[in-house]
Amino acid sequence: MQNLKDFTANFPNDLQSLKLGFLLQTQRSPSSQNSPSIMAESICRTLRDGSLEGEHAPALTLTIKDTAASPFGFDVFAYVLSQLSSFILEGKSQSRSVQLQFIRHSFLPETAPFNIGSSLSDAERPMNSTVCYRIQILDCYTDPLGWKGKLVESGNAMCISDEASSVTHLCKDVRDLDNLYSLILELGKGLAGQGKAHFSVAIDSVNEMLRHASLSRVAGLLSNLRSHDQISCIYWLLHSDLHEVRVTSSVEYMSSMVANVEPLNPSASGQRWDSENVSLLKQNFQKGKLNVRFKRRNGRVRLMCEEFHIEQSGINFTPVSSEDGTINQGLLPKVQFSLQLSEKEQTERAKVVLPFEHQGNGKPMQIYDGRRSLEDNKNEATLASTGNLQRNEASGEGEIIYFRDSDDERPDSDEDPDDDLDI
Amino acid sequence: MLPTGNCTFRATGIVKPSERERVSLVDALMSATKGRTSSFTRNVLSASSSQTPGIKCGPNGTFFVSSGISDLDKILGGGIPLGSLVMVMEDAEAPHHMLLLRNFMSQGLVQDQPLLYASPSKDPRGFLGTLPCPSSKDDKLRNHDPQQEKGLRIAWQYKKYFGENQQSFDGHRGSKQEFCNDFDLRKPLERHFFSGQRVDCVSVKDSPNLVALQDRCTTFLAQFPRNDGSISSVGRIAIQSLCAPQCTHSNMEWDVLSFISYLKSMLWSANAVAVVTFPPSLLSESFCKRWQHMADILLSVRAIPDDDKELAKLLTGYQDMVGFLNVHKVARTNTQVPLILEATTFSIKLQKRRFLVLECLNQAPIDGSSGASYGTSGSCSGSSKTGTLEF
Repeated sequence: MQNLKDFTANFPNDLQSLKLGFLLQTQRSPSSQNSPSIMAESICRTLRDGSLEGEHAPALTLTIKDTAASPFGFDVFAYVLSQLSSFILEGKSQSRSVQLQFIRHSFLPETAPFNIGSSLSDAERPMNSTVCYRIQILDCYTDPLGWKGKLVESGNAMCISDEASSVTHLCKDVRDLDNLYSLILELGKGLAGQGKAHFSVAIDSVNEMLRHASLSRVAGLLSNLRSHDQISCIYWLLHSDLHEVRVTSSVEYMSSMVANVEPLNPSASGQRWDSENVSLLKQNFQKGKLNVRFKRRNGRVRLMCEEFHIEQSGINFTPVSSEDGTINQGLLPKVQFSLQLSEKEQTERAKVVLPFEHQGNGKPMQIYDGRRSLEDNKNEATLASTGNLQRNEASGEGEIIYFRDSDDERPDSDEDPDDDLDI
Repeated sequence: MLPTGNCTFRATGIVKPSERERVSLVDALMSATKGRTSSFTRNVLSASSSQTPGIKCGPNGTFFVSSGISDLDKILGGGIPLGSLVMVMEDAEAPHHMLLLRNFMSQGLVQDQPLLYASPSKDPRGFLGTLPCPSSKDDKLRNHDPQQEKGLRIAWQYKKYFGENQQSFDGHRGSKQEFCNDFDLRKPLERHFFSGQRVDCVSVKDSPNLVALQDRCTTFLAQFPRNDGSISSVGRIAIQSLCAPQCTHSNMEWDVLSFISYLKSMLWSANAVAVVTFPPSLLSESFCKRWQHMADILLSVRAIPDDDKELAKLLTGYQDMVGFLNVHKVARTNTQVPLILEATTFSIKLQKRRFLVLECLNQAPIDGSSGASYGTSGSCSGSSKTGTLEF
């Protein structure tokens, strides 16, 4: 098993289906639950709650991104799909059904991951005498460019029995995105029935779509889906190292949540396979980090991070062990002023008596000579009013030492032209 | 602000404010209560143009149009000059550019200025339903008085000067209200403002190139020719998310650049302003730079992380903030004197979730524990850039 894992780790993108088979072997019991995770749950809950009425582009979209260094995007995708399916089956979510379009992996009921399989079989059972399925599959995997169909037509190959189940619908031309869009809508509306019920869309791999069509067409399809009223949420998987940065950022631009699957030790990947590195690499291929950026409606971005382990029973999420807090100092310009007051400074400021302020207690006028408090030094205050020189006995912190020019000068004489001072 | 270190100094007397300083200090007090703007604002006592309330005369023979946000008008030195192109760099993670666009569009509609709106969605008219309505004056004025009296102990009878200035203040404020309204983001604009011929909407999504948009702009701007006579009407163009990924023209970077330069030249000979938002992260770097050079006024918006304890410690008022606005370039026409801003980063706040305000940042120093007092710090800003002082 370990060797198989390492083997698939070497060629992650080519042998995804093999890896899927590996997962399938170990995930037969539908009752095994994944351990609950706070963050991944919150992603699923947000998707479950879906869109708000009257928003500009209502449907919530999630992009799951991974790279060759940590190729577990598909596991996360399967996790999200299974969670949302269970929400739908329990009736907790805004969307009533799932429209699953797969290109890269096979999601046909026999070979799908465990709880998808179980939910599919549940879904195929008609509910309440009206034929109302909860999941519809758009199969772009079997014959994406219509080659098999052409072979059958020209008589060169045997007719492959198309599994014309009511759940699966075959798409024969992935390049025609307009057709794909209308297919998705048609199937989704068919699921929803006559009413205005919502459905959600899960797209297996955006990379495959980008292979067959240009970025602007794919982006157009995604944004059309997003703006449609009946679609509650959309989620897809993207392998970010297969495309230019621009493509990845365009897809991220259109999604309201981005989940990055990253290796735990980014430095370990890409190095030569020495004996020291192998253990780190092995660790990278069993665990990873999931960084999620939520774009909230008020314009702030919530960042969450969790670790996950790929184990025999599936994917498990745990809270992050080591916190590296990143201070967003790049956002703020640098200053050297202290514009805030600490609590101690605030209370001291409140105690400061302004020099010509009314004391309000009917006592004779006292000039604040920089001493700490007037009540304590009454003797000195009366002396000061007669104009004597005083020296501070108490040596404290900052003091104002005021030397009067002449003894006769009184602070509140009538000759003082400052009649606008509030004394 | 208290000195953070120990110091002794000699008091040599009482500072007596002169007559003129008193008046400006009154202004400072009045403006200080509204939020932290600069404490000495220049009183641009410019009378609004007699014909139309939406246009203000500015220095050097320019005319200003309001951006819809009074704080932004102040930052830009009075408003958006006629004939200029404002470009807003979006942040992929936050929709703040929509706030700026909405205020801009509403301001034009409220002042009866025709509007051309282009967007990459299939139904641009739907966006008009989200435009904010000008708020009634009662909401705003009620807040001012209690805030003025709080926590301010002044040993100087400034109140007796209010009688003299109150008249001019109200008059000033009155004319300002017409130039720039306060918009309540929770109340939608009444339908009669954008029904009819006043608003023209264009969707750029399915068009193969920008020729159609270019033609629409040409016909729109032909209504506002600029000649030496009086200004009869002013037009506004709002283009949202130019070069968004779902548009076909996003691949044709040179074509988009030539469209922008065409628009700029058309604006220069018309009585109109244009606001264009674009996502810089989706463009190649060289084109991003070219676009930035094309702009007369360049702004950018940025998202801030949610529940970030470090930022909450560094900034006061973090709870109300939704993002940052950076001002990179401000247009100055008919003059060689540049506009030097005191600050280029502003926080975008939604007061009571309804009113958009821009405020300077009040932030603690990065290494506050070293306790630099005034005496030791030589320059005001750690990173000194030529021409701009950043606080």
